[in-house]
Amino acid sequence: MTQLIQTIILGLLLGGVYALLASGLTLIFGVMDVINIAQGALIILAAFVTWALWRDSGLDPLLGALVTTPLMFAVGYGLYMTTVRWIQGKPASASVLLTFGIALIVEGVMGLVWSGNLHSVTPSYFNQSFRLGDFYFPKAQVFGCAIAVGVLAILYVVLVKTWLGRAIRAVSANMSSARLVGVSPRNVAALTFAIGVATTGAGGSIASVLYPFLPGSHYVWISRILGIIVLGGMGSLPGAVIGALLLGVAETMTVTYVSPRWATMVPWAVIMVVLLARPQGILGAKLREDVAV
Amino acid sequence: MSAAARVVDSRPFRLAAGPGLGLLVVGALVFLVLYPVFTDNRYYQNMIILALLFAVMGSGWNIISGFAGYVSLGQSVFLGIGAYTTALFAVRVFGPENPGEQGASPFLFVGISAIVAGIFAAVVGSILMRTRGHSFVILTIAFLFVMQLVTLNWSELTNGNHGLTLPLPTWDRDYAYWPFYYALLGLMLLSVALAWWIRRTKFGMGLIAIREDEDKAASVGVNTPVYKVLAYIASAVFIGAAGGVYAYYLTFIDPRGMFDIVISVQVVLAVLIGGRGTVWGPVLGAFILEPMLEVTNTELGITGNERLILLGVLLGLIVLLLPRGIIPSIQDLVRGQRERGRAGLVGARLDRKPLQVGERVATDDAARSGPILEVRGLEKRFGGLTAVDGVSLAVERGTITALIGPNGSGKTTLFNLVDGTMAPDRGEIWFEGERIDKLPPYRRAHLGIGRTFQITRLFHQMTVEENVVAPLRSFSWRQLGAGAVSGPEAARAQELLEFVGMHRFAGMKAGSLSFGQQKLVELAQVLMLDPKLIMLDEPAGGINPTLIEQMADMIRELNRQGTTFLIVEHNMPLVLGLCDPVCVLARGRTICEGTPDRVQADPAVLDAYLGEDFALEEVAR
Repeated sequence: MTQLIQTIILGLLLGGVYALLASGLTLIFGVMDVINIAQGALIILAAFVTWALWRDSGLDPLLGALVTTPLMFAVGYGLYMTTVRWIQGKPASASVLLTFGIALIVEGVMGLVWSGNLHSVTPSYFNQSFRLGDFYFPKAQVFGCAIAVGVLAILYVVLVKTWLGRAIRAVSANMSSARLVGVSPRNVAALTFAIGVATTGAGGSIASVLYPFLPGSHYVWISRILGIIVLGGMGSLPGAVIGALLLGVAETMTVTYVSPRWATMVPWAVIMVVLLARPQGILGAKLREDVAV
Repeated sequence: MSAAARVVDSRPFRLAAGPGLGLLVVGALVFLVLYPVFTDNRYYQNMIILALLFAVMGSGWNIISGFAGYVSLGQSVFLGIGAYTTALFAVRVFGPENPGEQGASPFLFVGISAIVAGIFAAVVGSILMRTRGHSFVILTIAFLFVMQLVTLNWSELTNGNHGLTLPLPTWDRDYAYWPFYYALLGLMLLSVALAWWIRRTKFGMGLIAIREDEDKAASVGVNTPVYKVLAYIASAVFIGAAGGVYAYYLTFIDPRGMFDIVISVQVVLAVLIGGRGTVWGPVLGAFILEPMLEVTNTELGITGNERLILLGVLLGLIVLLLPRGIIPSIQDLVRGQRERGRAGLVGARLDRKPLQVGERVATDDAARSGPILEVRGLEKRFGGLTAVDGVSLAVERGTITALIGPNGSGKTTLFNLVDGTMAPDRGEIWFEGERIDKLPPYRRAHLGIGRTFQITRLFHQMTVEENVVAPLRSFSWRQLGAGAVSGPEAARAQELLEFVGMHRFAGMKAGSLSFGQQKLVELAQVLMLDPKLIMLDEPAGGINPTLIEQMADMIRELNRQGTTFLIVEHNMPLVLGLCDPVCVLARGRTICEGTPDRVQADPAVLDAYLGEDFALEEVAR
């Protein structure tokens, strides 16, 4: 029983971080109908930047989020302006292929700059834990989860309370109507993409402390966050949070009760089961292409 | 020139014709066949072997993703399945572990690999093919990674991470690469032949129709589930065989190398370069991409990370700048040159022959009694909105029944429920005494329900004639292999196009027609089904008054010959002059049903739809 509860605790802490990492993907999909396959590679990029800062200047990796978030915002804005804007409104295959191409480029560049070896960020607290009765809470995960929840809260406030947020939600609900009432879908899309990619900044910094990584790890991350948003309902932010918590727990359960080597299978299995059995996920509206005209 | 030959000529994706090109293809093939005979250069032979592998994979991918439009990013899963099938047979069944069994030919394993890949495709395809768009792309990636992880983790069978080393083939070392080279060349020729054959058959035309508009394809009788699964199998079989050859070629395979998404992406990239949806595009693309990767490797040292960057950049460039690929772009250029100076037909006045519908098979319809279509308590909700709220309605045989009502009253939804595009939440639909609300859309088309759409839905990349012959009145396995456009069908299509006055446009792409012209072609398309009931969704919407009159004449003539009509229309003079009875929908319910006179006088109808000041005299001609 203790082991079960401990496993769930670890899964939920992990899930909090996953929620932040998946939020950008679901936001971009909801507004632009684009699945940004490069999101996983951008997470790893933020992790590498965090690692470099930590090694060279001793900057705490979690504080590194303050650097990586604006950096990734700029990267996202640049990517949108140079490439992604041209494939908006094109079939799914065009955006998936383009963002896959971006992922390959980012992977290759990271391999050239930082080599293909496994990297890990190990601040003083990375192997320490808080204890509460029988249960332990790894400090890195507690801090990481707290920061992730904080960033998500900010994102939520931006989406609900600001004009930009209303514009984003308007475009997400109906692009042509939003255009009619004076919202420029292009500007909104640019900012959405930039914000969506910016979440990989803080998220990647936190992730760098939780798992060792190498350039090729982006496949693991894209599978995780895709699994999460498919489970929660693509395009839904609350759905991503629920999906992330469930997937976090599913992963730790698999590690504890089955075998660590099957853990990477969990997101793919989730994707297959959900898309086939309930394509709209937990909270999402039915995927548009599944609805007849 | 016969009608059939003319249609073949106007195929949208045919390689630009001309003796020069044919010669070029033959020359290239002769070169490929003779190359290893004349030179021993292993470097170039290896390059060609890999290009052939990509050509086989590209041709396969092209069937499901180019013809049918279902983009798969996990097609290399069949390479892995084929490679592991052959390797497991070579190592576990006939290999060193069972010394008594030695002596089986590797080519036997290759055949088994093809079959295993086909079986996998059949099982997985029948599940995956129920999704579309983003979901399908993601699922194909998921399938690839799941297979990779299973192969990695099932180490008792596959030796997991450590991979499998195949026994060296027993043939003479002097043959060197020949067996691989010619095996892959043969597979490539088979793949191209298969693609070419598919493209000329009903099967291929159905796949193109699915790519253009799947729901529409189903509504004109194309058995979409079977077509899609067959396409998925066809796209997998030769890749599986090539995987077997490739395993022997490499002599060592491991899960990450065999179930590799980067290989998938390279295949997609190759086909995109050459031209998606064309027969030769995958081959051309493979022979451009693979030598380029090899040469940049040996000359510039581009490998590993640099190669990833190169692939990424190429992918981006192709998607952004040349999304259609080389062959279709050249075809467009050639077609543009050829058609320059010719006056466009669009905008020309329609000329119409006197009404002459072809011999309609005499049925004993008249002998049957009861309504042809009956809807009982039908209900459809979208979230909180109840679009159709318990509608009951009967369409009597031989009538022209109108369905009118304000916008949003559920008319089009009712059509969608009857033709099967949507499933009702409650209620029953009966057609010709048979309950049809559980039948798939194409079955309902086979039974004799045809429908047009408010916003026309033709297959834009097909010609007008191909659009008209696309509908299928039944499904049979034999029909799949029949020619896309046969003589009698072409004649019938010509007749129907003459009937609607569009025969001069037969060779044009449907997408280039005006809206009104598309309405007429869509009517001809539906008539190809020989439907007993035709449902028209706003036949007069968006077309000019003369055309409306012609449309009314056509409907009357068809009705006189025995076709029943159910028409949604807002043009009141047309409705009241043409239809009897008239049925009025409001807020998802029938509020009135009866003769035009009765309906016009009904206070509920005036209140809900026509309005108090509806001028009866004016309308009643």
